[in-house]
Amino acid sequence: MTQTTAQPTGGQELAPERVQQMKDPRRPRRGLGFPGLLMAPAVIFMAGLSIIPFLTLIGMSFSRVRLLGGAALEWRGLDNWARALTDPNLWTSWASTVLYFVVTVGLELLIGVGVAVALHRVLRGRGLVLSLVLLPMFVAPVIVGLLGRYLVDPTFGLYTNWLQAVGIDIDPLGSPVTAFIAVALMDVWEWTPLITLITLAGLSGVNPSILEAAALDGASRTRTLFHIIFPSISNVLLVAFLIRSMDAVRYFDIITITTNGGPADATKIVPLRLYETAFRFFDLGYAAAIGLMMLAVTIAMAKVFVRLLDRKGLAQ
Amino acid sequence: MTLSRRSLLRAGALGAGALAGGGLLGACGSGSQPAPVPEFTGGDEWRRFAGTTINFISENTAPTAAIAANLQPFTELTGINVRIVNLELSALVQRVALDLASGQSQYHVIYADPYQVLAPYSAGLADLREFIDADGYPPLEGGLEDFIPTQLAATGTFEDPDKVFALPYDCPTMIWQYRQDLFDAHGDRMRDDLGFDVTPGMERTWEEFFQIAQWFNAHVDEVVAGVGTQSKQHDSLMCDFSNVLWSYGGEYFEGGSEIGLRGATDPGRSLLASDEAKEAAAFYQRLVGIAHPGSRSWDWDGVGNAMAQGQIAMCVNWHEFASGNEESLPGQVSYAPLPHGPARSSAHFGGCGIGISGNTGGAERGAAWLFVNWATSPQTQLANLASAAGGGTPTRTSVYELPEVQAAEQRPSELPNMLTGPTMEVAWRDDVIGLRPKIPMWNECDTAVFTELSKMLAGQQQPAATMDGLARRIDQIVARGWQA
Amino acid sequence: MSTTTTASTEAAARPPKRSTGLSFDQKMTPGGTVVTWVVLGVFLLWTLIPLVWMLLGSFKGGDDVTAADPKWFFTPSLENYVGLFTGANNLLPYIWHSVVAAVVSAGLSLVLGTLAGYGLSRTRMKRKSDLSFWIISTRMAPIAAVVLPLFLMFRFAGLIDTLPGLILAYMTFNLPFATWLMQAFFAEIPPSLEEAALVSGCTRWGAFWNVILPLSKAGLVTTGILCLVFAWNDYAFASVFAGPSSQTLPIAASQLVTQTGVDWGQLTAIGTIVVVPMVVLGLAVKRWLVTGLSLGAVTGE
Repeated sequence: MTQTTAQPTGGQELAPERVQQMKDPRRPRRGLGFPGLLMAPAVIFMAGLSIIPFLTLIGMSFSRVRLLGGAALEWRGLDNWARALTDPNLWTSWASTVLYFVVTVGLELLIGVGVAVALHRVLRGRGLVLSLVLLPMFVAPVIVGLLGRYLVDPTFGLYTNWLQAVGIDIDPLGSPVTAFIAVALMDVWEWTPLITLITLAGLSGVNPSILEAAALDGASRTRTLFHIIFPSISNVLLVAFLIRSMDAVRYFDIITITTNGGPADATKIVPLRLYETAFRFFDLGYAAAIGLMMLAVTIAMAKVFVRLLDRKGLAQ
Repeated sequence: MTLSRRSLLRAGALGAGALAGGGLLGACGSGSQPAPVPEFTGGDEWRRFAGTTINFISENTAPTAAIAANLQPFTELTGINVRIVNLELSALVQRVALDLASGQSQYHVIYADPYQVLAPYSAGLADLREFIDADGYPPLEGGLEDFIPTQLAATGTFEDPDKVFALPYDCPTMIWQYRQDLFDAHGDRMRDDLGFDVTPGMERTWEEFFQIAQWFNAHVDEVVAGVGTQSKQHDSLMCDFSNVLWSYGGEYFEGGSEIGLRGATDPGRSLLASDEAKEAAAFYQRLVGIAHPGSRSWDWDGVGNAMAQGQIAMCVNWHEFASGNEESLPGQVSYAPLPHGPARSSAHFGGCGIGISGNTGGAERGAAWLFVNWATSPQTQLANLASAAGGGTPTRTSVYELPEVQAAEQRPSELPNMLTGPTMEVAWRDDVIGLRPKIPMWNECDTAVFTELSKMLAGQQQPAATMDGLARRIDQIVARGWQA
Repeated sequence: MSTTTTASTEAAARPPKRSTGLSFDQKMTPGGTVVTWVVLGVFLLWTLIPLVWMLLGSFKGGDDVTAADPKWFFTPSLENYVGLFTGANNLLPYIWHSVVAAVVSAGLSLVLGTLAGYGLSRTRMKRKSDLSFWIISTRMAPIAAVVLPLFLMFRFAGLIDTLPGLILAYMTFNLPFATWLMQAFFAEIPPSLEEAALVSGCTRWGAFWNVILPLSKAGLVTTGILCLVFAWNDYAFASVFAGPSSQTLPIAASQLVTQTGVDWGQLTAIGTIVVVPMVVLGLAVKRWLVTGLSLGAVTGE
């Protein structure tokens, strides 16, 4: 796509030194170099706002944190870590988290790609349909949670009412399984459009000549889809997956607003437990240990994705 | 890496500074006393802090809604600007704790929930006796004696009865709310079928309450179910269950109801594994089993809404829902104390006080007191009762004695919350009022209680096993102790 | 539009024309079309019903909004919207805070992130991939865990309950995101472009500013919009760092869940107010998003 050849604009004299500077990786740099200068402000900013909290977190995880009279740490050794590793409730939460992640991100990818493929087939009206389909991703998660509650309320909820009309008399948020499904679907509602959008972007970029070649070969549509289209957009799908994975477990606004972890702890995913340990129980040392565990898991996961992307040569 | 090792080391040193916590972060105000309140130089005591601005952080409760809608009188009286931040309770607790931790006070007047703020952080609140007994401030009308004594002790004190950290501000309490019209229409048949007098009140047993609900399920089509409960995995589930627990003679801790009134850091062992508690749990499970199917996802709002929408014939809920009921179903909802169990009838009290952050200094400290004084004064409480924004019920005896307030106990009522008046008189009696344990680690215990109960209601565990597990877990939580 | 060869940079910066007629299924059967539209129709219903219901709810007065029998037809009323701006409620400051915090944080993140993203894509430092990974990992930190240390730092700096504080807090997640996304865009632009510019006498800054940036419009728009949406919709950070003089709209929404009942009428109204600006904005730049989110990554080789 970017086949541009820039037109020489001003003076014609060459600056071979500069070109050389860009080209030769082994050339010793003076100071930070131009890229370094550009990066400096953001890197310094991010370092300030991430390294200090990170080190503080590590310190907290080995301590008991006292709040009154200015925060202070009392050394407690491995207490919090031992507790975190042996707390059966925390492990149950990890299980729910994995399930929640698989269900939401899985459904989002499945439906998102499906809708994108369908949209891609449509030639007339695609713009309008796409606009409508995208709407949920602009809705604040808090609002999604509140709206979800409004829709499945057992007294006046629209969806509960419809379910009753077809003979299913349940209270969606009232029992463990249905509540889990309900909050997962709210997440799916909000984030499927993002996957659709990214996939569609990928599809529009597929080189038409390949498709023509496939058509000439007489490949069936399904074959074309699975053997040509999907492989060529796999990069984009991975990026979509990475973006979603970063946030799937990080944000918990929807669950907080709807079930807050219940019923019977069915929707208490780890970030929720972390939040309540930190800000309901003010057991901040223990919360720090849980938080670091979460961070480790997320980073490990991201590492895998990035390695996949690297293999595809996308991320430098 | 552009981040040289040296810069990393430097960042590390900064982090280590932060780790020293007390040292670095404590420098921002803690340890040092807050600035003294400026001297009183005569003149109008109410106006000595004119021009000051203070922040009041409150749970979004009825009285605060009423006060927020009508701050004008206070500003006119004192020249003080009050900014109100209304939050859901858990968000409030989070902000208050962080604010106290910071050693400064962004929030000067604090809605001090006795269990979630007062018990854990009483050391961070100002002792209001500093103002009550001092010259230069307008007197506290009627003195501390005018507050209903149980409420003052429950919402205002922690461990040391001589320190008053908060003045009673609201007083929601759980009572029996029922559809008078349905009881009128079906009462006789119900009595004949069931074989006992069905008039709601503390003469009924919980068992009879159950049967009445069941009877409605079977015979009355105007409602979806006889009873609705607030059994979401939420604070409301603990509140709802506690009534049954106490009626059956169960207790949370060895310390019993004293812990609710005075508060304690060490409440003793948990008694939730007792036979009484297990019976209570078994009954509660049965009750939710026949309740409106929505019950397990309702908190007090949910059940209140179902009542107002005419979905249920009765429920146990906070008495302040009366004004909402009167709006949706005028003249159709009546109130009574809760049924009794083998031990007693109990009414769970959920009142809160307002206090002042100990970090507040200077004119703001004085201004904060003027606001606390004004917001809990008889005039303000009366105005709240009449407020269109909902309004709570008074925490002062003198207000209940006013003729216009007494008159409002009958329909047609100008102050619909007062329709619960006669019931509340009983509910707040020392032998009836139910007080949950006021301990600093209550938040975590509370969460354990409603989580385990929720598992029981979901059919994942039996009542007896639930209570055994709960007692163990609560003992563990309490054993970890508390240091603010 | 000008379609000259000299303006080739401009052409590349425009969203590419849709590959009309080049879909992989030109020979779609009528049956296939029906299936496609059924899929889309069902998905549209699933997507739109909640939003329409919210919009309708915001115009319902009195008990209509929580009527046990959901009402599709009712007498519309503005009382919910009026209620949000009168009496004890005044939504205007909330709106103002939301706008300032979201716009400024997204803007700053975009500027710094673009510079850093470009630097990152062109640097030849040894541990580039580590740096890049560290940047994105700062976006993954669990919110509840980092909030306490951040709170204490912000308090120390006097940033609690200020708009600058909120802006900084939003930048903790937006800046790494912007950097990472922009880096991916720039990585797709061949360095030969800058080389040509340098040869022709541009400074490195000039090459970046005059040649590379105009080529990255789609990326800039996409990144900016996503940052804006993330900041505008934030609840977790605002609930800790905001105070009486910096409350935002999502906080206002949560405040309507009160002890004595949820005001669903006002809630749906506030929901509509929160959602509409983002939707309008998002749709306005939709075509850029489609181009932008392909990350220029798919060249179809």
